[in-house]
Formats: sequence, structure tokens, C-alpha cells
Amino acid sequence: MKIAVVVQRYGQAINGGAELHARYIAEHLARHGQVEVLTTCSTDYVTWRNELEPGVEQVNGVPVRRFKVKHERDPLVFGKRSDRVFEQLHSLGDELDWLDAEGPTSPALIDYITKHASDYDYCLFFSYRYYHAYYGARASRGRAILVPTAERDETIGLSIFQPLFRGVRAIMYNSPEERAMIHAVAGNESVPGVVVGIGSDVPNNPQAARFRQKYNIRGPFAVYVGRIDQNKGCKELFEFFDGYLKDPAGKLSLVLIGNTLLPIPEHKRIRHLGFLDDTDKFEAMAAADALIMPSYYESLSMVALEAWALGRPVLANGKCDVLKGQCLRSNAGLFYETLGEFIGTLEAIEQNRWLAGSLGRNGRQYFKDNYDWPVIERKYLDMFERLKNEVPGPGGDPLPGWFDRRRQDLPAAQDVLAKLPKGPAGRHG
Amino acid sequence: MPDFNVRSDSVNVEQIMEQIRGRIREKRGVDYTEQQIRELAAVKLEKFLDPRGVRSDLLDQFRKAQPAYEPPELPNFAFEDATLFESHRAPIRWIRKLLMPLLKLLFNPNPLIQALNIQSRLNTINAERDARREAARRQMDQLYYELVHNLVVETTRTGIEVKNLKMRVESIASRLEFNERRARALEGAVVYRSTEPDEPRPQRPAPQIPQPRQQPPPRPQQQQQQPRYTPPQPSYTAPVPVAPPTQTAIAPPAAVTEQPPQAQGAGVPGEGPGQRSRRRRRRRGRRGGGAASTMMGAPSAAQPGATNAPGTVESIDQMDAMDRMDDDGSPDSEEMHDAAAEQVEQTGIAEADHAASTAEPPAVDQAPVEHAHVEQPRVELVAPLPAAPSATESSSVAPAEPAAAPPPARDPADHDPQ
Repeated sequence: MKIAVVVQRYGQAINGGAELHARYIAEHLARHGQVEVLTTCSTDYVTWRNELEPGVEQVNGVPVRRFKVKHERDPLVFGKRSDRVFEQLHSLGDELDWLDAEGPTSPALIDYITKHASDYDYCLFFSYRYYHAYYGARASRGRAILVPTAERDETIGLSIFQPLFRGVRAIMYNSPEERAMIHAVAGNESVPGVVVGIGSDVPNNPQAARFRQKYNIRGPFAVYVGRIDQNKGCKELFEFFDGYLKDPAGKLSLVLIGNTLLPIPEHKRIRHLGFLDDTDKFEAMAAADALIMPSYYESLSMVALEAWALGRPVLANGKCDVLKGQCLRSNAGLFYETLGEFIGTLEAIEQNRWLAGSLGRNGRQYFKDNYDWPVIERKYLDMFERLKNEVPGPGGDPLPGWFDRRRQDLPAAQDVLAKLPKGPAGRHG
Repeated sequence: MPDFNVRSDSVNVEQIMEQIRGRIREKRGVDYTEQQIRELAAVKLEKFLDPRGVRSDLLDQFRKAQPAYEPPELPNFAFEDATLFESHRAPIRWIRKLLMPLLKLLFNPNPLIQALNIQSRLNTINAERDARREAARRQMDQLYYELVHNLVVETTRTGIEVKNLKMRVESIASRLEFNERRARALEGAVVYRSTEPDEPRPQRPAPQIPQPRQQPPPRPQQQQQQPRYTPPQPSYTAPVPVAPPTQTAIAPPAAVTEQPPQAQGAGVPGEGPGQRSRRRRRRRGRRGGGAASTMMGAPSAAQPGATNAPGTVESIDQMDAMDRMDDDGSPDSEEMHDAAAEQVEQTGIAEADHAASTAEPPAVDQAPVEHAHVEQPRVELVAPLPAAPSATESSSVAPAEPAAAPPPARDPADHDPQ
């Protein structure tokens, strides 16, 4: 079995969610077949600048074939086109222009897929929203399997992606909420799909005490791991934690791990440690009383899964359907929407050891049952086996013609998004 | 393979979240989301804007004070194409009409007529628009008035609520202060006991041993046992005069006879079920007598010559607190209670006795200084006394600051069996 993993960026040092997801999947599927990664030469997701050499190299034993990006992203043009397609009545041509502006525009990659798709049994495309997935899936029709990593944002409301969701051979979802959203927007219930997610190589025995000693952290604390950004809900986290600090019953400190784009509040109970390697990160999570995940938009949240794998409860933002659904399904995390709920839930985890312990145990079991690597690999292999026995469908819709691309009849993406069903999926997904 | 396996263990996050939300509602009131707040704000605004929801006679007064609007009669003129040549005299009108071609030969009056006609129409339009605007403005004024009035009402209501909350905070603060003082008093009692580790702790007598209520102990024996309450502060051992003769006048014989032999030194003997309630009744009977400051160990309690004030709320509260401690039933709390009760009652009774001695002429004409009456019970509490100074010395040395306040003196009249 030969599989192509197609992703916008790839590398050992690239820690973006979908990119890391792709690398983990490629490395684990490489144990069951021949895997080749097709990607671009860029490492920066903002500019898509060509920073790596084109050609083939090995990353952790997996061959990686890189292709140049035709042009970098112009933030002004991209912003302008985003406003157009997200907020106004527009045409299909506007959406294709938006996709071109978003990048990474690599016709060389698409040409290679067109010519060599038949060399692979399946092509796994990660992140539906990028150029490579839209054109690559068309180029490898009949072999394309999509890992959408879709979040509840305006992009899902763009019309160009509906044929993509309907035209691939299968979709590997990250969560039941993501599946429900894509079904609602594209009506692709007939496309084979399974909720898979991703595993994590969590150490068996992280040294929590070593972390405390290394970073001189004493007392109970909650940890946040990830980019410290307003889009990740960190601003709200700071506001809510400030409210928590005013409550004399609360004793937890907040430890922040990750690069920051926001000013960190000055307080003796808020510590920012910067970017840490995996060892320190896992030890920090093991030492923490809870992991806080304040993000509004998540398609899976690997960090939350890692915290559960380490037996730590998670306090998630209830405004994110996926996180809320994960907490409900796992019975391993609490969630908040208001300041009062944030304080109440954090204090409940802090002060009720039985509750925190039970949540942690449930999380560990939830991870073991659903996100352990053998489970993930088995789901992928089962899907490949299933597709092998099925005849490929007619594929997606053809590219629209000249007149169709210019007809101004598509609704604003945010209006489409507003009509999609909200809320977490059922308890059993 | 199924998408998801779920093991809920014994934790149900939904239920826990409901409990947490319920607790938040109890603790902080309803915790609204942003969306709910917006909805509430919209509802409130609708209520404001609905004139039926406004109850106000001020509004009527406002309407009366403001007369109905009538648009003013602004000067204007109508100007048509024949206006320039009109006349009430028919021949003149005929001549003007006849000469019209000649006039038009000299100059063209049409633009002038047109301009004046437009101006006339503009004047009319402007006047109507101004009238409409003025009427609308007056209507808006009424609406603003209603809004402002309702805002005032709401602000008043909020102010009242704030005042109520302030009063509640003050009440809670005073209760907290009282509890802290009570805790300090009880801690002081515990400290007195813990400062004498070498002294053998008296054992509670067996319940079957009858209480020698009818056999009062000899006074010296009682005095020998009292040093157990000697405070650790050196100021407490300040030299004081030996017991003056007024002691006999202070301590009524009947009270002394009711003093059980283990009232001081024997700690808490086994007490029957009725003793606790009797003690409570006695205490309640005394509540009107002692000054609160005396009971609470305030500085004024140690000041000589302090007048005997009626019982205050605090002293009653403290007694009530002790009553509650009576109901606790634990040996530790009983011991603590006993010590605290002794402190309170002794101090109060000493004050009462002192006041009685100052108010009434002494039975024996030998009281040297009034202060001696205050210091006198202290003599019985302080065990290792140095050579007794004179009464005047004691009065001058006797500390009056709260930090150096002596421990509550044991009154010989105290006939509490405990």
C-alpha cells in the first residue's frame, strides 16, 4: 500500500495543529505501508515564503517531497478578498481568487499530483481550506481522502468547498461536531467518513517534580499550553483568571506555555515560561492540577487530549462546540462560558480532589479508548480496507465555467455559517 | 469499530455543571451570559420606551407646563406668473396686459417671476418642515423626559439597594468583629491552661461522686487553686495589696457557701444534666449587671472607678455564644467554655462589686483607696506574689492599658459549681 500525505507545510520544527497531525499520521502509517509526504517549501503559514529546498528529503524516516510556492501571500489582498467573500454577496470567482490569495499557491505540487496520483493507492489531504487540498483533491480524484481539520469559522461557509466535501473518497473527521457541521454545509452524508482524531506520544512517567524544580514553581497551578493569542481565547482567559484571583478561596496559579502575541498580565500568580520542548511540556501538564483550554475554535485540541492522556482534568471554553462535546463525551473535563462559571469550575477542580481525580481517570480512559495510536491506526487501515472494496463514485462537481464563476449570487460566508447547527454532538458522537 | 467508546465512571459532567451553575446562582445570583444580558437590556429598553409602562404624574405636570405646539404664522407671499401685473382696477389690468409685449421687448421678466415663484414655494416648504420638526422635537422631549424620569426611579431603587447592601456589610462586619473578639477570649483561656504544663491536670471526678454543693471549701484552699489562671505576662504579677478587709464585705457568705470545692482548680468536674442549664439560667440572670466592656476585656474594664453600665448587646451575644458552647457537649469545648465563662463572669462581678462598693458606703470604714477594690480580686489570682506594696502604690502601678489588662479576677461571690 502506497499513501501520499499532502499537507501545506511539513517538518520536525513545525508545530501547527494540522501539520503536526499530518506528521504523526504519516509516521504511524509508515509502519503499515509506504508513505510519501507531498508538501511545499514554506515553513511560515503567514507568508508561505519558500524557505526550504525543493526536492526529496527524509524526516523521521518518511520521504518528503517539496515543491515551490508560486507567490507569497499578500496580507492586504488576502484581507480584502476575505472581507468580500465572508461578508458580501459574491461570485464563485471571488472565492477562487480568495483561495489563490490565501495560498500556498503551488501549481508544481498540483501538477505532480495530477501526473503521479496513480502511483499511490490513496492521497490523504490535510486541511480543506488551503489551495493544495482544493486543487489536489480534484487532481487525484478517486484516491483523495480528506482530513478536513475544519473549525467553526467563516471559511466553512464558502461554496467552493461543498463539492470538495462531496467529491472525495472518504473523510477522516476529528470530532463528531466537525462531522455534523460538514454534513450540514455540504450534504455529504453518503461519503464514507469516520471520526478519528489523532493520538499523541505521551511519556509514561513524566517527572512533575523535575519540572517544578527546574522552573521554581510551587503550589497548585493550572496550565495553558499553546500560542498565547487573542484568537485562542487567551484575552478572555486573562480577564477571567483576574476575576478568579480576586476570589480568596482560589489558590491556583496560572502557568502559560507557548509563544505569546499578547501582553501577559503582571501578577505573581501568573507565570509565562515561553516555548518549551515536549519533555517539559508533558511534565508541566503532569504537574498541573488542570489544563485550561480557552480557545473558541478547535477542531480537536491535541493539547486537551494529551492532558487527558496524562490523567489531568481539562477546563475548556464552552463556547467551542468541539471542546464542550469532548468534555461531555469523556466526562473528563468541565467547561465555562461566563466568569462565574470559570471561577466555579476552577474551584470545583481545585477543591474537590475526588472530582479532579475522577475527571483525570475518565480522561485517561477516554484517551486510551479513542486516541491511543493503535486505535487511530486501526481506524485508518479499516477505512483503506473499506475503500478498497468500494467502487469510486463519480467524484466532485466539475470546475465552474466562465459565466458561472462571475455570477454574483453566492451568500456571504458568515451568513451560511450562522445557519449551521450549533452545539455539541450527542454523548456518543 | 465504533466512533467512540464512552465510560462515564461515576462522574457525570452534565450533572456537575448543573450543580456548579446552581451553586453560582445561590452564591452570586444569576450568572447571565453575554447574550442573555443583551436580551435583558433590550427588554428593559422596550419597557422604558413603552408609554403605558410609565407611571408618572410628573409627566402630566410636564405636559401641563408645556403648552401644545402651534406652528407660528410666518410671513410669506404667493408669486405666480401674473402676480406682477395684477391690479384691483380692471382698466389698469387691461392696459398692463396690452403693454405686456412691449415690456417683454424691453426685458425678459420671466426669470424674475420664476425665481420669486421658487422662493415662495421654498418658503412654504421650509415653514412646513420646521413645523414638523418642532412637533417631532417636542414629542422627543416628552420621551426623553420619560426616560430620564425612569432612570431617576431606577437610580433611586439602585441607591436603596446599595444602602441595604452597605447595611448588610456593616452588620456582617460587626458580627465578624464580635466573633474575632470571642475567639481571642477563648484563645486567651486556652493559653492560660497551656502555660502550666507542670501542674497536674485535675481529673474529672467520677460521675457518682456527689457534688459537695452544701460544703463550701475554705477560702485559702480556693485561693491556692486559683494561680492556675495566672497569665504569662509579667505585668499580671504586679505587686498588689493583700486582701483588704473589704473582701468580706464583697463576698457574701451565701455565695461563698455555694462555691464547690473544685470550682477553680479542679477543672470541670462531671456535671449532671441539669447543671448546664442551671448555669445558663444563672448567667442569664446576671446579664443585666455587667458592663460589656468589662466582659469583653476592654480597656475600660481595667480602669479603676469605671461605672457599672447595663449589659450591652455584645455581652449578651457573648453569653449566648457560651450558651451555644454549652450545647456542644465536647469536653474540650466545655473546658474552654468554663475558662471563658469564668473570665467573663469574674470580671463582670468584680466590676459590679466595685461599683457597689463605690456607690454605697463601705461597711467597714477602712477602704484605703477605691482602686484597691478593683485590684483586690487580682490578689487571689496571682500566685507568686512579691512583697505587697501599699495600696497607693498598687493604684499607681495598676495597668490601665488594654494590652496589659489583667486577667479577669475571680470573684469570691462566684458560686458557679463549675
